[in-house]
Amino acid sequence: MDFILSSLIFSPLLAALVLLLMPARLQKPAKVVALLGALVQMVLAIVLYFRFDGTAAANGQQGYQFVEKLNWIGFSLGSLGRFQIEYFVGVDGISISMVLLTGIIGVIGVISSWTIKKNVKGYFLLYLLLLTSVMGCFLALDFFLFYLFFEFMLLPMYFLIGIWGGPKREYAAIKFFIYTLVGSLFILIVMIGLYTSVIDPLATAAQLGMLQTSGINPDTILQVQQSLQQNVIEGADLVRTFSIPAMMDPANFIPGSLLHVFSGTVLWDLPIRFIAFLLLFAGFAIKVPSVPVHTWLPDAHVEAPTPISVLLAAILLKVGGYGLIRIVYPIFPDAGAYFAVLVGGLGVLSIIYGALCALAMNDLKKLIAYSSVSHMGFVLLGLASLTSEGVNGAIYMMFSHGIISAMLFLVVGVIYDRAHDRMILNFRGLAKRMPAYTTFVVIAFFASLGLPGFSGFIAELLVLVGGFSSPDITGLLPRWLTIVAVFGLLLAAAYYLWALQRMFFGKYWIFPELREKATMSDLNRREYLMLVPLAILAFLFGIFPHLLLDKIGMTAQGFTELVLRSGQEQLNMVLSTIIK
Amino acid sequence: MNEQAVLLSDKIDAIIAGAGSLLPELLLAGFFLLLVTLDLFKSKTIKQLLPWLALTGLFSAFVLQILGGYTSGGVQFLNLLRSDGLARYGGILFSAAGIFTTLLSLQSRSLENLKEGKGEYFALILMLVLGLNLMAKSINLLMVFLAIELVSIASYILTLTLKHEKRAVEAGLKYILYGTLSAGVMLYGMSFFYGFTGSLNYTEGTFWQALLQADYLLVTIAAILVFAGFFFKISAAPFHFWVPDIYQGAPMPIVALFSTGPKMAGIIVILRFVAAFSDPAVASYFDDILWFLSIAALATLIIGNFTALWQKTPRRLMAYSSVSHAGFLLMALLAFGTNYSSSVLFYLSVLLFMNYGIFLFLQISEENFGVTRLEHFTGLGHKLPYLGLMALLYLLSLTGLPPLAGFMGKLLIFSNVWEAYSSSNQTMLLVLLVAGVLLTGVALFYYIRIPYYLFFKRNYTEEKLVISLSNKLLLGFFALPLLVLFFKPDLLLHWIEKLLAQTL
Repeated sequence: MDFILSSLIFSPLLAALVLLLMPARLQKPAKVVALLGALVQMVLAIVLYFRFDGTAAANGQQGYQFVEKLNWIGFSLGSLGRFQIEYFVGVDGISISMVLLTGIIGVIGVISSWTIKKNVKGYFLLYLLLLTSVMGCFLALDFFLFYLFFEFMLLPMYFLIGIWGGPKREYAAIKFFIYTLVGSLFILIVMIGLYTSVIDPLATAAQLGMLQTSGINPDTILQVQQSLQQNVIEGADLVRTFSIPAMMDPANFIPGSLLHVFSGTVLWDLPIRFIAFLLLFAGFAIKVPSVPVHTWLPDAHVEAPTPISVLLAAILLKVGGYGLIRIVYPIFPDAGAYFAVLVGGLGVLSIIYGALCALAMNDLKKLIAYSSVSHMGFVLLGLASLTSEGVNGAIYMMFSHGIISAMLFLVVGVIYDRAHDRMILNFRGLAKRMPAYTTFVVIAFFASLGLPGFSGFIAELLVLVGGFSSPDITGLLPRWLTIVAVFGLLLAAAYYLWALQRMFFGKYWIFPELREKATMSDLNRREYLMLVPLAILAFLFGIFPHLLLDKIGMTAQGFTELVLRSGQEQLNMVLSTIIK
Repeated sequence: MNEQAVLLSDKIDAIIAGAGSLLPELLLAGFFLLLVTLDLFKSKTIKQLLPWLALTGLFSAFVLQILGGYTSGGVQFLNLLRSDGLARYGGILFSAAGIFTTLLSLQSRSLENLKEGKGEYFALILMLVLGLNLMAKSINLLMVFLAIELVSIASYILTLTLKHEKRAVEAGLKYILYGTLSAGVMLYGMSFFYGFTGSLNYTEGTFWQALLQADYLLVTIAAILVFAGFFFKISAAPFHFWVPDIYQGAPMPIVALFSTGPKMAGIIVILRFVAAFSDPAVASYFDDILWFLSIAALATLIIGNFTALWQKTPRRLMAYSSVSHAGFLLMALLAFGTNYSSSVLFYLSVLLFMNYGIFLFLQISEENFGVTRLEHFTGLGHKLPYLGLMALLYLLSLTGLPPLAGFMGKLLIFSNVWEAYSSSNQTMLLVLLVAGVLLTGVALFYYIRIPYYLFFKRNYTEEKLVISLSNKLLLGFFALPLLVLFFKPDLLLHWIEKLLAQTL
């Protein structure tokens, strides 16, 4: 067992500790330390990407690689058995892309933060904490650990927006905090329900003393699960767990617990498992964000400083989508099948509504924020279709949107740095003054609107193919839903091209009041350093999609099969007990 | 005549045999008397020694109860007091609260400037802790009443410590009026119980069996009257009206003590009470009392959290925060099942550190930097990052966010409520659970206002601000357990369980 995953999570934290011990007046060294922390994380992420075996079978429940598992907290609950929290991390095809993305964006963000002047030490401390918690989220396989990192993201973000943000930063920061906290409280309720219902079969076997006699073999788990379902294990011997993979197996649920498939408990005319699904979905949908709980995002983006916008759009939103794939769907596949139209419908609604809002925006940053809402809608649609293409596409979309949205927000940052303004109508003909800049804007816009040759195209294509084939393969989504989603592409072309035309083409002109302060120089070296790698990545993953799909593919396929199969089975079980 | 003599000698034997179990209380009482006596001397050196003497007394009681082993087999003392693990753990918490109060008082400037009554101030803290110990040990209604009164009387005088301040006098007067009223109501309820059962020992099964024979309505009313007195002590709605005024007027260390000590003891008393009648044989009969408790818990949670939103001063904010925590603890008590008491005790232990931490922070900001309204915190976090960071830790722990022990405490309690709900299927428990979880969001909204002023707003005066090293150390001392108990809660939980399992 090597500790590459722990190193990935904790390398920024280590840098943060070093930073904490440095005197506050050393600004340049502080930046260097932060950069080193992020660089180490990126290098480790790239190493992990190459070492990860994409051909190994995996389905979200099994097939994790580089697993690290340590007992962390455990105590007995008397006759209710033991309570176990583990430090349990691992990586599979779903998380590998997110890990890579986090590594890359982390470094880009530090470079983009180079111009921060106010309280440099505090800024980078919070920044590094944020990187640690995001990476932790993507690697955690224990629900408690995941929740810890998930909640811990809020606080650094709250301060980063609230202290270093724009004029309405305080409002935006508190709005962000409250929205996401309410979301995470929904998740907390379900987490409590889950861990009190689920046991760890292996640890229970150890508790029963079965391991001494026979050693670990596959039969042991099966044996424990059978005796659990027959209700012959004594309460005191049950080891309750937060392990996410254990929660995915309905055989691990204690008979009679509320979230068991046969529990039959009904709340407001819905089986309680469905309620739990809806709560979890709501919690993560706020983070994604999906319409109608997206309203915190434009505010947060507009007020956040450029690097934080980059981080927010590129990796923090992905935690929402990732949570849906890693936790919500595999644990409640029955409800996933039942609510497919709801999830897909909200996805399509986000695509169309986000795009329409983007079309109406005068603030370039707001336009891009709404385009994020629109693009993240594809993740929901792809996931809801539960086809192999759709799920591949959803994960690809998250990765691709991470790269492209980072580029988009950087591009907005460039103009805001120069003119201290980013209203679309205040600029015209920028292409004449800033040709290199315009080139990157064009690349970013085209990549985002899904031009073939860029990563966004592959992602959207996969999702749409998945959506279209869903009625035939899985029968979950109606075809018209995907047809409506296609209009989103059209709208994306409209708002991007229109913005491009208004701001960059024609005769050079900027709003008179801005002229005094504005120095419209072209890109500097630092900006090239950020934009060039991102542009290359957007191209690279657009032309060679197998670079990523080879890593995702097996897991996505296994995941789809597992969720679909157990979804149908469990749905029948749940509904059968209700009718009784 | 002879029979009486035998009875008396039996009693004396029982007292001598049981006295060992009261060693911590005797110790506290001894130090109390010592302090009162020494306070009569005019010598300055002796006066300066008094707080340290009080500290020694509290500390030895603390250590004694941690080590245990002072009882000689006598579990019950004359059917009045029971020295079990619950009482012992409670005693540890109370002594710790006493120690922390004394430490805070030593840091307090307004107490330093106090002309007279300093000796009795520290003596009264000892007396209060003694009363709390007795509360936790009582298994007899009359003893409960006496212990509560002992605590109350000490509290009234302590509230009035700063006699020259108008607000302190107002607070003290209000406290006495409310306090005596609630004590009267409680005593009235207890007298009903005695009338029904002919016994005051409420932990015995026969007590509740006898109640089953009595008139149902009257029993319910009597129980509600008794709970009124308990609720007053733990500041649960609708008996929480005294809280904001007292918090506004009393010296900060005493506020910190009120927010923890009597609350913890009150919770332990209610815990014994509820544990006695949650016995399945009688529980269903007392459904209405349970309903009353649930409604009170819900009301306390809602009133505490929502009223805190409108507060403009940190003291009043903390007052309502304390009310909301009472609601939370009541909710935890309703989820009776296995091991719920260890979760409650864990939460109380965390509450101790959070509250003393935050009140120390408030004391420093109030006395050193003149903070009496939330706006006055403006920019303080920028000038004193350490102070700001510590305040942030306490506040987040109070809200219940990871990675702080407040979250662990809440998680354990929510788990108990969920467990109780899944075994009993009572919708009320689910309502309580959902309310408790969602109100955490509301709680964040008011707690975060302090860091908001600390960090988001800037104060452009050039003034250089400092805090003393001892204050810094204390701030760190209260914060450290909050982190440790998040990452390793099992350390404490194992110990609590071990204590609860043994009946000394």
